[in-house]
Amino acid sequence: MNRQIRQLAAGFMALYISLFVALNYWQVERQEDLNSRVDNTRQILREFNQPRGPIITADGMVVADSVAAPAASEYDFQRRYPTGDLFANVTGYYSISYGATQLEKSHSDVLVGATGRQRVLGLAELVGGQGDNSGTVRLTMRSDLQQVAKDALGEREGSVVVIEIETGAVAALWSYPSYDPNPISALDFESAGDVLTFLQESPGDPLLANAYQQRYMPGSTFKVLTTGIALEAGRINTRTKFPTEVEWVPPQTDNPIANFESTPCGGDLPEVFARSCNIPFARTAVDLGPAAMVSGVQEWGIGEEIPIDLPRPVASTFGSSDNLDQALALLAMRGFGGNEVQMVPLHMAMVAATVANGGEMMKPYVVDASIDHSGRVLERTEPEVWKRPISPENALILNSLMQGVATRGTASCCIALAGGIPVAAKTGTAQLNDTGEPERSHAWIVAFAPANEPRYAVAVMLKGTNAEISSSTGGRLAGPIAKTVLDAAMAIPA
Amino acid sequence: MARTMNLARRRRSGELTLIIMVALITGGGYMLAALGTNSEIPARIVPFLVALVALLIITHIAVRLLARGADATILPLAAFLHGIGYVMITRIDERLAGLQTTWSFVSVAAFIATLVIVQRATDLARYKWLLFTAGAVLLMLPMVPGIGTTFNTGARIWVQLGPINFQPGEFAKLALAIFFASYLADTKELIAAGTWKLGPIHLPSPRYIAPLLIAWGFSVMVMVGEKDLGSSLLFFTLFIVMLWVATQRIMYLIAGAILFAGAAYIAWRIFGHVQERVDIWLNPWADPLDDGYQIVQALYGLSDGGILGTGLGVGSPNTVPEAQNDFIFASIGEELGLVGAATVLIGFMLLVGAGLRIAMRTENSFEKLLAVGLTTVMGIQAFIIVGGVIKVIPLTGITLPFVSYGGSSLLANYVLLALLIRLSDSSARRLGELPDDPLLGERWSAWRLRRSQRRTYRGVTP
Repeated sequence: MNRQIRQLAAGFMALYISLFVALNYWQVERQEDLNSRVDNTRQILREFNQPRGPIITADGMVVADSVAAPAASEYDFQRRYPTGDLFANVTGYYSISYGATQLEKSHSDVLVGATGRQRVLGLAELVGGQGDNSGTVRLTMRSDLQQVAKDALGEREGSVVVIEIETGAVAALWSYPSYDPNPISALDFESAGDVLTFLQESPGDPLLANAYQQRYMPGSTFKVLTTGIALEAGRINTRTKFPTEVEWVPPQTDNPIANFESTPCGGDLPEVFARSCNIPFARTAVDLGPAAMVSGVQEWGIGEEIPIDLPRPVASTFGSSDNLDQALALLAMRGFGGNEVQMVPLHMAMVAATVANGGEMMKPYVVDASIDHSGRVLERTEPEVWKRPISPENALILNSLMQGVATRGTASCCIALAGGIPVAAKTGTAQLNDTGEPERSHAWIVAFAPANEPRYAVAVMLKGTNAEISSSTGGRLAGPIAKTVLDAAMAIPA
Repeated sequence: MARTMNLARRRRSGELTLIIMVALITGGGYMLAALGTNSEIPARIVPFLVALVALLIITHIAVRLLARGADATILPLAAFLHGIGYVMITRIDERLAGLQTTWSFVSVAAFIATLVIVQRATDLARYKWLLFTAGAVLLMLPMVPGIGTTFNTGARIWVQLGPINFQPGEFAKLALAIFFASYLADTKELIAAGTWKLGPIHLPSPRYIAPLLIAWGFSVMVMVGEKDLGSSLLFFTLFIVMLWVATQRIMYLIAGAILFAGAAYIAWRIFGHVQERVDIWLNPWADPLDDGYQIVQALYGLSDGGILGTGLGVGSPNTVPEAQNDFIFASIGEELGLVGAATVLIGFMLLVGAGLRIAMRTENSFEKLLAVGLTTVMGIQAFIIVGGVIKVIPLTGITLPFVSYGGSSLLANYVLLALLIRLSDSSARRLGELPDDPLLGERWSAWRLRRSQRRTYRGVTP
């Protein structure tokens, strides 16, 4: 029987080794993944009774802080968001029962003072009997500009993004609908749960930061990219003439592509760009061919998650590139932002900023600095170049093309800034309905100002508006919002 | 003679060293857990340390007096697991810790009583039918209306007799292990011979296999009736492993595996709660706030602990329902990390190793099979619950021997431990490592005999 007993021992060994392997899998291999899950409240449970520092804006507004909890509570602190829904998409919420999101999650270690440097620097104070080692997170965002963006958008579903051109620092990042993080962060388990469930089931994904966590059909704003790619490839220049035509049949199909409202449209590049003709950009895309277009949009960062310092960003997409050489008609439509092209609002603001910034696309960021309890700066975000899709010369050409849009093109109705500050823009109207159905579209505008000395770029996207569709829909609906926001941004002292 | 005496003495002093280390680990852990939760040295530290040291020394002295030839590692390993578990229970729920203290004393008393009563392991073989009946009754007890209580998970494994609640299944496993060992020791050749020809297949005569099949079918049927899948799996494994070791026919293991796969499939098809368990096992994140909550939170605890753990008293094991009971392993993994959890696993591995070493050393078939059975019960039970908690197998509610909170479990496992120590001592004596001392009963008789002789002598010479 001893042979069997030895085999039994080996069997037990195998069973226990499998347990050991599984233990390693959960505690080492999957550790980071599990710890970053939103419903994982372990870290919060551990940190909940520690002092937690505030999140403040660049203009000094406190958007999240901790106050003493009511005396009856079993906890010492209560998280509070003085600006309500205004910065919910950036700060996130901090709930003992339902976890934390956004900066409350990703920068929790700074806020409670758990980073290595804070621990070392705070040692003297801790020894001195003072237990508060909490840190502060300072945003690049401005509460005044954020408020302007919120008011300008009003109760229309959509996003407004403002970024500082030279650095890529985000100045405003607003999307409607948003939510108030206060009730979710309340200590009452039941009521917090009810609010969270209600928000999860609400239309328009209020819990998502739609400005960087959703993508939408970009319509004609995408022509900035098509033009940029063609300029880089040397296939077009400002003297390139496009035939005036009502419709054009791309290769491999019988279905013609038309301009908006089937009007004749043509002329040189500045002309067709300002009027936002469709056919010239469809022709340009086909002329460049699938390979050049696909690699061209990759140069602009399409297909990669946006490298912002907030959790779970999404990537813009050019759509499937399989067999695109057998479907040149689709490529033609993508040339003017149709078919499967989808862009993240923040990414479109970055596109405008790239044009303004001499062809350098900066990494966007919302955290300016992390600061320890005694006011020492622990870490400051350094601006970084993410992509260089176009040369400075071609950036200048695009800049002047976009100025044409603002002065005499599809945005001329609505974008003129106070004090006559020169501005550059591109509008977009992404038709969502099929022929014959009621007209629905995403209305877009991207813009930057001052055009000669750029400081801020903005992207405005209104989701699924029911207005009548024409080449000017984007400018007419989104333009005034961009103007209001840029006017406010221009008032910010440099 | 001197050499053999030294061997027993060396074993006992080795045991004492290990016991002292267990006392240090447990006492230190208790202090750290209190510091971690309340940032202060617990007020009850002195009574705790006194009780801890008293319990450990009493058990050690009991072994020294009653089974001095036994393996030196068995008791310290169990005490270590018990200590770690106790520290975790105190840290999770102060109130339960008080109850667990009482149960620890009761269990140690049962441990000593077992060593006193069972002076020769082979004596147990004589009571196989009594034990079979006792096991069967114990297993059926929770199904009796009025005294059986349904647990909140749906399993009906508790019995309420007056003020006392207990899980009879924990004791039934001991009774059945002894029964299987005794029965198989008598009939293994007959079963292995395969005298009953069915076509080309040689099967054991139905006469010899029937009682085993009845015992097995009975326990499985009862367990399915009580919805206690963990115990069902435990009994099945025990039965198959003992049959295989006794007959030395791998065929039984294979047939058992097939039989189990079939039974599992049928259970999965028929029972909603089995499907639910399997679904949760496959993807606990499908419903992380309700069905999958327990396992998801356990895994979060493990990942939060990482390699070194959050530290005793600093984690949040209370987030996991039943953290002190079925899920205590997750609590250990959270606060003591991979290192602590792996230590507990190694503890069980060493205990299993010690148990099987006893089985290898003894020549007596019954003792061999009993050691195999007891070790298998303990080793498999630990595997089933740890595997369930860390998502290796579907979760089935069962306690982690020595570690989990619970009187029945602790009591039964200390009796199991006493039997293993008794077997170890017997095998040492049989191998001539130390003299075969007279039993307590024999000494008692001898003393009475001597006394009466003295009296007689005195009477004769006034």
